[in-house]
Amino acid sequence: MWGDWHQLWQIVSVPDNVPIVALLFLVPFYTWYGFREAFKHDRLIAQLEADPAMAKTHHRKPYPFKTGWERELHVWPYLMRIEFLAAVILTVLLMVWSITLNAPLEEPANPNLTMNPSKAPWYFLGLQEMLVYFDPWIAGVVMPTLIIVGLMAIPYVDANPLGNGYYTYKQRKFSIWAFLIGFLALWCVMIVIGTFIRGPGWMWFWPTQTWDHNRLDFAVNRNLHEIFGIENRWLAMGFGASVVGLFFIVAGYLMHRLCMVTEFSRKIYQRMTLLQIITLHTLLILMLSLPAKMAARLLFRIKYVLVTPWFNI
Amino acid sequence: MPEIQNDDPIVAKSYSGPLLIASLLLVLSLFWALWQEFVGLRPWRGYQREFASVYSKFLGKELTKQKAAADAIMSSAEYQKLAKAAKDAADAAAPQVKKIDEETAYVNRRIAALSPTFITARGEVTALIYQVEIAGSESSKKSRQADVDKAKKGPFNVELPTAEGKTEKKSFNYDELIAEFDSLKNHKAELTLKRADVRKAADEAAKAQAAYIQEKLDGLSVEQVQSLQTAVRQMSVALRQINVDKAGLVDRCQSCHVGMDPKLVPPTLQLTKASLGLEKSKDAPFTSHPQPELLKLHDPEKFGCSPCHGGNGRATNSVVKGHGRHEFWLWPLYYKENTEAGCQTCHAADMFTYHAPVLNKGRELFRQKGCIGCHRYEGFDNEGEQLLSARQKVRQLEQQKKDAELEIPRLNKAGDQAPDNKAAQDYYAKADNLRVETSVMDAQIEQLMVRARSLLREEKKVGPSLKETRMKLRKEWIYYWLENTHTFRPDTKMPQFRFKPREPRAISAFIWQMAVPGPALPKQAPGNSAKGKELFESRGCLACHSIGEGNKKMGGTFAANLSRVGEKVNYDYLVRWIMNPRQRTRPYDPIARKDLGPEDYKQYGKDFVFDLDHSRSPDGKHELQVQQQTVMPNLRLTIAEARDIASYLAAQKHADAVYQPAEFMDDPKLVEQGRALVKNYGCAGCHEIATLEEEGRIGTELTTEGSKPIERLDFSLLTEHAKRGVLPDGKPNVRDGEKNAEWYDHKGFFERKLTNTAIFDQGRVVTQLKMPQPNVTPEDVTALTTFLLGSVDPQVPKDYLYKPADQRRDIQEGWWLVTKYNCMGCHQIAVGQPSDLQGLPIYQGENKFKLPPPLLSEGARVDPNWLARFLENPAMSKTDVNRNGVRNYLAVRMPTFSFSDGEIRKIVKFFQAIASQAQPYLPPRLEPLTPQERTMARDLFTHPAAPCLKCHATGQPAHDANASAPNFLLAPERLQPAWTARWLTDPSRISPGTAMPSGLFKQEGGRWVFSGPLPPSLQGYSKDHADLLVRYMFQITPEEQRMLLGRTPAGGKSGAK
Repeated sequence: MWGDWHQLWQIVSVPDNVPIVALLFLVPFYTWYGFREAFKHDRLIAQLEADPAMAKTHHRKPYPFKTGWERELHVWPYLMRIEFLAAVILTVLLMVWSITLNAPLEEPANPNLTMNPSKAPWYFLGLQEMLVYFDPWIAGVVMPTLIIVGLMAIPYVDANPLGNGYYTYKQRKFSIWAFLIGFLALWCVMIVIGTFIRGPGWMWFWPTQTWDHNRLDFAVNRNLHEIFGIENRWLAMGFGASVVGLFFIVAGYLMHRLCMVTEFSRKIYQRMTLLQIITLHTLLILMLSLPAKMAARLLFRIKYVLVTPWFNI
Repeated sequence: MPEIQNDDPIVAKSYSGPLLIASLLLVLSLFWALWQEFVGLRPWRGYQREFASVYSKFLGKELTKQKAAADAIMSSAEYQKLAKAAKDAADAAAPQVKKIDEETAYVNRRIAALSPTFITARGEVTALIYQVEIAGSESSKKSRQADVDKAKKGPFNVELPTAEGKTEKKSFNYDELIAEFDSLKNHKAELTLKRADVRKAADEAAKAQAAYIQEKLDGLSVEQVQSLQTAVRQMSVALRQINVDKAGLVDRCQSCHVGMDPKLVPPTLQLTKASLGLEKSKDAPFTSHPQPELLKLHDPEKFGCSPCHGGNGRATNSVVKGHGRHEFWLWPLYYKENTEAGCQTCHAADMFTYHAPVLNKGRELFRQKGCIGCHRYEGFDNEGEQLLSARQKVRQLEQQKKDAELEIPRLNKAGDQAPDNKAAQDYYAKADNLRVETSVMDAQIEQLMVRARSLLREEKKVGPSLKETRMKLRKEWIYYWLENTHTFRPDTKMPQFRFKPREPRAISAFIWQMAVPGPALPKQAPGNSAKGKELFESRGCLACHSIGEGNKKMGGTFAANLSRVGEKVNYDYLVRWIMNPRQRTRPYDPIARKDLGPEDYKQYGKDFVFDLDHSRSPDGKHELQVQQQTVMPNLRLTIAEARDIASYLAAQKHADAVYQPAEFMDDPKLVEQGRALVKNYGCAGCHEIATLEEEGRIGTELTTEGSKPIERLDFSLLTEHAKRGVLPDGKPNVRDGEKNAEWYDHKGFFERKLTNTAIFDQGRVVTQLKMPQPNVTPEDVTALTTFLLGSVDPQVPKDYLYKPADQRRDIQEGWWLVTKYNCMGCHQIAVGQPSDLQGLPIYQGENKFKLPPPLLSEGARVDPNWLARFLENPAMSKTDVNRNGVRNYLAVRMPTFSFSDGEIRKIVKFFQAIASQAQPYLPPRLEPLTPQERTMARDLFTHPAAPCLKCHATGQPAHDANASAPNFLLAPERLQPAWTARWLTDPSRISPGTAMPSGLFKQEGGRWVFSGPLPPSLQGYSKDHADLLVRYMFQITPEEQRMLLGRTPAGGKSGAK
């Protein structure tokens, strides 16, 4: 049933989903806002680079030049007062939220009955959505570990000394795109999919489509080697491993080309050690494997590329 | 800090405005939170305040009313007399009382003066004595003792008031002080006693005065109302809860339903919306419990509220949450029409629960309509399961016995080879014990076999056996019936199946061809239809069966309506059925799984004879099913009577009924298809069908259906309809004024499914539901829904469940049988529960005496051993069976049910238990009559004012023609003397409206005396007259009775005087 606005309202109005509805608006807004600030500063940087004399006395704010403005200000009171205001507003928000919406407690757990759809807390929905594309060991253990390790590695692989303490796009294009793809396109979108799109049986329901518990979908997912008619287990494993290896090689090459696109990026690249480069490339390729696998699954109905007795990819 | 120019956008910008607004909002949200804390989340505060005001108003009115009533009583002469007596008594006692009071005051003053010194001294001395007790060495003990002695010496100086109002100084040592204090105390106690003694008469008079008002006043006394008013005034607005730790129960229902608090509203006060003046209010939870008698049985302090009513007892912050009408609360409050579902939670083992008529109806329907044929329900019709388990236990015991028998020689041998005497003896002893154990096992096995045999007899089916179809039915009718079940017989218990085209053909062909072929029935001569009608209506057939269509319908609902029976049935078969409905054409062998014919008996050289006395298989190894599995009993009619009734019934048909020829019935190709269909539709759940005797139930078990997770109830394509409160036809579901009321709950599922069993197939291309449409009214649906809603996995502790071990268990078990065999069709068994016959026009007015006896006190009336014999053979004779054993004068017949021994035992125990009789029954010894007493008794017996034999039967046909009461010769072995005495003195109390006259005896000086003119022989007899008569009755002989009959005036037709 299409055009079921009641259904949409039910999903949107559940107290559990409030953060995600907010996320739907807040994340684009702050992305836009960040970019706006970044472009302002980029223009200022260009202006000051063109006029070294002015750069000496400029107050470094994206405002038209005026003499006498301070280049540096103290945290107290100029930062603190804004943070204090933000804290007050946030407290009001939390108060109102907690008064109007109760904790979304449900019925006592019944070990004999799994709820359908059975959803993780909203911040884990991205991981749960990943289970559709990878086997539980990869999606549930390897990937989360790599995400954490990758986040911890950022300061060590980041060889770009620019962009500290001010917004800028020009000077940190690579990092910003990595963030946009990794966090926005993959993490946030998957949370949104898990919340609004996945219904009973973890089936794909477009917004305003009724979450019908009786719905039946017919879909056959095959492993890659089956498509190519390889039946021998060892052959299949070898084939799968080669495809995965091929992906790494191709993706590594593309990543390398990406790092060499501009003069600036070549410069940064040259500052990096081999270990930094390998780490960076590995992490980015692994991140890329998620959309690659999603595409393979959704467009080509491929279940696994590599099937081994221990794990599947 | 350097001077900063104030036009710097970061420095110069002022945030005071936003900060002010944000701070104000913060304060506001704080107030909001506080409001929420004290009001928003605690709606019960408002309810309690409202209750206090409404209830005070109510009490105010009540006070005025009761005051006026009390005043009216007080102004009566009788009360004035009592009041005067009380005043006089008080005045008479006054001078003495005054003297005593003065003396008491004096003693009290002296005690008060002495007390401080006494307390100090005692404290010091006892503390020192403790030191002596714990002193370690003899010497230190001694020195401590010296301290004690010193302290005891005192002196203690006290100023005591004297009687004259002065003071005197006195000096005591410790012992003297104690003695003085004790003597004062004793003196005071004496004075108190004396005062009570003096005032005794006055107090009693005052009590009589108060009691008089209480007796005459309807409702609460003025003082009681006033104390309630105080209680309401002092009532604090607080959470009220019942907390039962053992049951994990926290019920805060009374926080809003304040009227349920017995401390505020005593049970004698009924608060209704009307009495509180709140008829129009939709939201006023202040009424008191509408059935206080239920609260007496289930103390709320133990049972709380939610175990019976459902709902979330802990929730207090909104009505919806408290009532649990909430997606995530699994046990929502039952709706009013289903309240009794709560009873079933604990009373699941009952067939009949007092105060729960709807639930009782639900249970009965579940059984009667044959739901039980497809759906297992714990405890319902479990004879089949019991039979299996008995057989299994027998096998186990036989194995154990075999093992033991192997072990015995082994032990004996070990004993022979034992090294010493003691070890050898141990072995021999063990072997002996085992031998004894095997004999115990033999007894067990024998009992189990008896039980298994009984169970074979107890197992009944809801519908008739289909094995006899060929002999019983008209061939063309079967097909018609399957298609038009509810048109042919609108009140039949058989549900209408939703067959697909051509399925009924296959089914009827299968049934027809599987039916037993014979031996052929004897041809019966036609009977007298008019006489048959009379017999049908008078013998008691109408207690279970009804006849007539539409408005003309009369009779019970327990069994089929026979209005069109003539269209379907074969006359010869009908005669046999009426003669003995349990008679089978062929016995069923449950081990060989076939119906045995003459050929099987011939194999063993035996005649084809089988009945309850010949129930062994021809090889003699096991029990056969030799009865039809119907509850219909044998009415012990003569063949002529059976023919008459059969002729009458055979004439019951629509003249214009036309049946299509059904040649497909003999098509052998349809048999296998039919068998598959019969299996698929579960026909064998209710009918005995050849080759399908061991078929299981096809439906889901319903024992805990009410607590099945809602997700497991298949709403199918109507799930969203149910969740959004839309009916299957697209219209909104309205409930209590709420539009689009959600029905995605158990109640919604059960009700809709029962109303239309195909409903959840709506919209399906491949239909899956095979549950047929039962023949139920909307009230039936409510009753069944109530029953199912209550069928839950209980949340309360096990010992809350009603599974009594005492006589109440006999009652529980008895109700199963009493409803199984529809005893209430003829007899009244529980108070306020009329029999079906009672309502028939032929038993109205004068004809009431033709009804079967009510059995309200049967257990106290008769000797249980006699009752057992009677139930086994109600004719009380092996040869002369065409009669009632006790009430031969009644046209209506007590039938032979062929109960199993176990059933007889249970029924007898049931009657004993409902009459609170001790088990086993030991008949009391009666004092023999002296010759004088015999003469007196004869005079009473034949007294012209109450000639007993005028109505009571004697066994002489001429006399009995007008008899309307049982024969006295039966009394000694049948009746209990104590009951008989009660019956003689006041029969209408035991059986209202009986023909037996009341007031034959009057109470005189603690004994019963005949109330008519006393015959000369009884003048001066000082013992109980009723007792004399009872003793005489229990010793009467046939000769004596014949002799007395000559002295009695001829029997009249009037019956009662």
